[in-house]
Order: sequence, then structure tokens, then C-alpha cells
Amino acid sequence: MTAFLEKKGGLAVLIAAAGALMAFVSLTPAGSGGSLLLAFLFFVAVVEGCVAAAAAGATVNARWVGAVRKELLSVTPLLLLAAFLLLLLIPFVDSYPWAGKPGIWLRKDFFIGRNLAFLLLAYVTARRFAAAPADGEGTKSRAAWYLLVFVVSQTLTAFDLVMSLEYPWISALLGGYFFIESIYGGFAVSALLCLRRSGTPPPDSAHGSRSDLSDLSILMFGFSIMWAGLFFAQYLTIWYGNLPEEVGFLARRLSASPLRELCVAVLFLLFFIPFPALLSTRAKSNPYAVSAAALSILSGILLERYVFLAPVVRLSPGALAIDFACLLLLFLAVVYKGSRGASLDA
Amino acid sequence: MNRDEGAMGNAEKYAKVDRDVLAALKRPGRAYLAGLAFAMLLAVMLHVLWAYQVRSGLGVVGKMHPVMWALYITNFVFWVGIAHSGTLISAVLFLFRARYRTSFNRAAEAMTVFALMVAGLFPLIHLGRSWVFYYLIPYPNQRQLWVNFRSPLVWDVFAVGTYFTVSLVFFYVGMIPDFAAAKQHVEGTRKRIYTALSLGWQGTQKEWRHYNMLYLFLAAFATPLVASVHSVVSWDFAMSIVPGWHTTIFAPYFVAGAILSGTAMVITLVVPMRKSLSLHAYITDDHFESIAKILLFTSLIVTYAYIVEFGLAWYGENVFERETFRYRLLGDYRYLTWTMLFCNSVVPLTLFARRLRRNTAFLFAVSLLVNVGMWLERFVIIVTSLSHDYDPYAWGIYKPTFVCLGVDIGSFGLFFMLFLLFVKNLPVLSISEIKEHL
Repeated sequence: MTAFLEKKGGLAVLIAAAGALMAFVSLTPAGSGGSLLLAFLFFVAVVEGCVAAAAAGATVNARWVGAVRKELLSVTPLLLLAAFLLLLLIPFVDSYPWAGKPGIWLRKDFFIGRNLAFLLLAYVTARRFAAAPADGEGTKSRAAWYLLVFVVSQTLTAFDLVMSLEYPWISALLGGYFFIESIYGGFAVSALLCLRRSGTPPPDSAHGSRSDLSDLSILMFGFSIMWAGLFFAQYLTIWYGNLPEEVGFLARRLSASPLRELCVAVLFLLFFIPFPALLSTRAKSNPYAVSAAALSILSGILLERYVFLAPVVRLSPGALAIDFACLLLLFLAVVYKGSRGASLDA
Repeated sequence: MNRDEGAMGNAEKYAKVDRDVLAALKRPGRAYLAGLAFAMLLAVMLHVLWAYQVRSGLGVVGKMHPVMWALYITNFVFWVGIAHSGTLISAVLFLFRARYRTSFNRAAEAMTVFALMVAGLFPLIHLGRSWVFYYLIPYPNQRQLWVNFRSPLVWDVFAVGTYFTVSLVFFYVGMIPDFAAAKQHVEGTRKRIYTALSLGWQGTQKEWRHYNMLYLFLAAFATPLVASVHSVVSWDFAMSIVPGWHTTIFAPYFVAGAILSGTAMVITLVVPMRKSLSLHAYITDDHFESIAKILLFTSLIVTYAYIVEFGLAWYGENVFERETFRYRLLGDYRYLTWTMLFCNSVVPLTLFARRLRRNTAFLFAVSLLVNVGMWLERFVIIVTSLSHDYDPYAWGIYKPTFVCLGVDIGSFGLFFMLFLLFVKNLPVLSISEIKEHL
């Protein structure tokens, strides 16, 4: 596999093959589109989050970015694949509750068009940022541009692809919630990459060292609190208001097993595990604690996407497994390729 | 650093920092005294008008159905917002080890404490019968009357009270080494006060170790507290079902708005302070550029919240929500809404230009406009929603009276009076941190 990746065009062939397989699966009746949507939502959150983490680090001169920048930015081509996956979702849009009704914002062509446009824009801005030297002139402004597009792209993903599934339910926070979660996932991936790169480094080495890991742990720790704040703000407002058009969102997820237990699991995976795991100074540089927190965060994001979709969308386990296997394989392949590039450059 | 400074030994450099920063404690000039007198006059006006309101009843402030929360609550939210940024700037920048914090942290912390003192007045003034304020305090149940813990107004009491306590401790702890330094440079009563406040500080290694641990703990404790407090303030509105208030984004939106307004107020205070106390060597244009970036960043978050709020009101099926936001843009208070949008979303965009970020006069003007914009934001949120909610029969327009406006203006007088007193009585910069970075 690694030898295949080393060949010229090997990665492109792999991406094309995975895209074709997912296209085939999603277009079969068993695929139903719901599984692809779930895979898409998680995949886009992680990929855009990886680039956003690197961009956020670059804008504030974060030291840890140097250790994992190439690997994080190596996922950029996957944004093009995400745009392709969005096109595969076109037939599925007909199952949205607003489909077929007159509307300006919720109209199928505009719906797909704006999301596609921002995915492509995210790709273009990410590519420009990736092409800039790490500490070169203009890198920060390119990073800032990517971050602006990232915020819009994730907001649209949240409002269009998820929130409008339950129209007329609305939550103004959902867009912010999605992009914060995405960048939270980006930090988790950064921590895992940092660990993979560094092995067991001496405490004070410059890159890939435990100090970089500590910085990333602090970020994950801080974002766990921020995530909990946003989660609680959304939950409390809906629960306290108790308006029929709003509270149904909670009722559908909290009134019956197994979704109720999965909701609690999300809370644990995104807050109650990473927060205590990274609370102490020592734990922030402990590879096991950091790995556990990072994996917990990524699993939490995946599970939460599932909880968002499960009550309103039909999910096929077989299609979901194939989609996830393809995307995971591709993600690991591009990161591997990126890390090889990094080591060769070094 | 010039050649003379380069040739200085550490002791000389430290002595120079002491001299430069503590020079502010010398006898005030006429301009300072005139400013202080004017601020005091406004503060006195606040108290006189409050007394008049107590004697005459709440009718004199123009609060009538349907707008029963008006300028007083606007001011409460505004001043709590101002208070938030102070500790946030100080604590977060400390946690991120941003060196430029030394230019702003003391003023920001002082601003926090004073703004909270001013903010705390408004719920009391708003009560009408201010002397029964203790109904909000959850004391034991001897009178068979327990406060309603499900009311966000009680959450406010806890949140703001806790925040004030922590901010005051944070402010004071940060000054302990500076009191010890300052007492060497003053005489008489002031020396005795500084000596008492320095708690016998000797500057030993052990003291510094404990001090640094405490300061780090307070910074880490204050940071999430800041976010939680303005979230609670936002829930005063969001927990209701009034159109324009009941929205999930209110908590982060209010927190971002608080940081925006607080950062603007820090700039408003520090630009003239630097000029009048000749602190250019310690508060540089680089430092202002860094804080301008915070202003720009938070402005972008606030703008995002505006877009989402207006956008979702239009997107959703709730006709009341849609009408409220239409009313904000095109109704009786439209000029205020557009001014708010201009000040908070358009003006800060100029700070994308590096040249403008480094121009302190321009930055000062931007900060003033943002202060205006953020005050208007609170007013627009509160008044437009109440004056135009569900029942057209009950719609109405709120017009403040001279009592209400006088109390509002007086609160600014009180705040600036406290800040001016701070400038002449306490070290305006963190001497120990400046020395640490030399």
C-alpha cells in the first residue's frame, strides 16, 4: 500500500477509486443517501478542521504548528473530494421536508450551489495557504482568508444540510457550534499527528516535542470547555423556552433509547472525558492521556453527527461502513503522503 | 532601547521603571483636576436623580407598558459587558503568555472592577424600591420567602457577584508587588496605606513562587467565569419567549459583544492615559496594534451573530420573529440599528489595514464608535423587542425622560471618576511584569 502511494499519481488513483466506490454505493437503493450524508458531515468537519487548526495556529504564531503543518495541510485535496460527495447528495435533497415547496433560500439548485461554491472556495483558499511558506509574507492573510471561508462553509453545512432536515426547527447557534466543533476536531488530529511524529521525544526538543503536545493539549482542554458552554447554551435555551417548534428537536433525541444514551455518550466523549483527562499539567504531556482525549473528541463528533441525523434520516449500516472505510483510508493515505513529504523536505 | 539604556545595569533599569510608572502618582495637574471635577459632577447628578426617582416613583423615568426594561437594563448590560473584557484581556493574555498584556492589564482590571460597581447600581435603580434589593439574595428561609432559583435574574446575582469578587481579588493580587515598590517612592498616609496593602511583601523567591501559582490559578479561574457571566446575562433575555430575545446564539454572541465593547473601552482609556502620563516607552504602537487585532476579531464574531440572527429570522416560519427583525431595520428605531451596524461591523473592518491599526488617534476614534455601537446594540435588543412583540394592540414606543438620561450619563461620570482616581492613586502599569520582561 505504501509503495503504491509512493508512485506518481498513486494518491490520485486512490482518491478516484474511493470516489467511484462511494458513488456506486450511494446511488444504489440501499444507500439511500443518508449514510453518505453522515460520512460527508464528519469528513468535512475533520478535513476543514485540520486546515483551520493550522490556519489559526499560523495567525497567532503558534509554535506547535511547525511540527504538524505539512500533515495538516496535506488533507487539502480531500476538500475537492468533499465537493464531489456533495454532488452525489443531489438526489437525496429531494427527501428534505422543504423540497418541492416554493422558496428563495431553500431551493434545491441554490442549496447545492452555495454549499458547493463554499467547499470549492475552501479548497482554493486552503491551497493558497498551503502553498505559502510557513513564516513567509502574506501567510497570515492567507490563513485569515481560509478561516473566513471555513466559518461560512461550516455554518452553511450546519444550517443547510443538518438544520433544514427538520425545518422549521431553527437554532441560531448551530452554525457556530459546527465550526467550533470542527476546529476542536482539527486540534485533536493535530495532537495525534504530533504524537505520531514525535514518538518519545526529549522534553525540550523544538518540534514534535512534549511542549508542542502540551500546547495542543491546552487547546483541546480549552475547547472542551468552550464546547460544553455552547452545548449548554443551546440545550438550556430550547429546554427553558419549551416552544413546540423548538423542543421537538430535543424530544426526538431524548425521549427514547438508544438515542438518549447516545446523547449522553456524546456529552462524555466531547467534554466529560477530555476535560478531566487533560486537567493536570502532567496529563497534558502524557501521550496516553492526550491520545485518549483526542480519540474521544473525534469519536464524539462522529457520534454527534449520527445523533443529529438518526431520527430523521434512514441510515444503512452497510453503506455507512463502506463510505467510512473509503474516507478513513484516504485520510490516512494523504496524511502519510504529507508526512513523507515533510520528512523528505526536512 | 537607546544606547544609554543599553549601558544601564539591571538595578538602574528597574529604578527607571519605578520612576516612570510611579511618576503618575505625583501631584495632579489642572487638566486632571478639571476632568475629575466634571466626572464627579456627573456622578453627583446620577445620585441626585436617583433620589428624585425614589421620592417620585418610577413613573418619572418613562418606563411604561410595553417597554418595562429600558435604559437602566441597557446600561446594566452595557457596563457588565465592559467589565468582562477587562479580566478576560488580562487573564487570557496571561495564560497565552502575550507580552503586550503588561501595557493594558492593570487598566483593564481596574476598568472591570469599576464597571461592575457601576453595573451593580442599575438593577437597584431599576427596582424602584431599591431598599428591598435583598429579596434577590438567597439568605436562609426565615421569612418563608425563598427566591425563585428558576429566574435568570437570580442567576445574575450569583454570576455577577462571583465575578466581581474574583475580579477584585485578581486586581488586588496583581498589585501586591507593585505596592511594595510604590511605598518606597511616597510619603505620609499614602506610604502607610501602600505598606498595609503590600502585606509585608519582600520579594523573596518563596514569595514569588507562591504569588505566581496564585496568579496563574486566578487567571485560569477567571477565564471561564468571564464567559459564564455574560452568558447568564444573555439568558435574562434568551430564557423568555419574546421575539428577538429567544435565540440559542445569545450566550456566545453576548460574550463576544462584551469582549468587543470592553476592548474598545480599554483603548479609550489607555490612549489618553499613555499620552498624559508619558508612557510611550511602555505602551507602544506594537501593543496597540495587537489589541486592535482583538477588536477586529471580536467585531467579526459580532457581525457573524448579526448576520445569523437577521438571516434566521427571515429563514424561519415564525412571523413574530420576522416582524421584530424587520422592525429593527425599518421601524421607529431604525436609525439606531443602522448606526449600531455601522459602528460595530463596518468601522472595525478598517483595522484590516496595518497602517490604521498602528495609528493611535484613529484607533481611539474607532474605539469611541464601537463604544457607541455596543451601547446602541443593548438598547436595540431590549427596546425594539419589547415595544413590538406579539400583540399589535400593545405595541408602543419608548422615549426616555431627563431622569433616565441623566442617570445614564451620570453612570459614565461615575465610571470615569473612579478611573481617574485609580490613575493617580495606584500604579497604572504592572511594574513587576515590566521588570520581568526587561
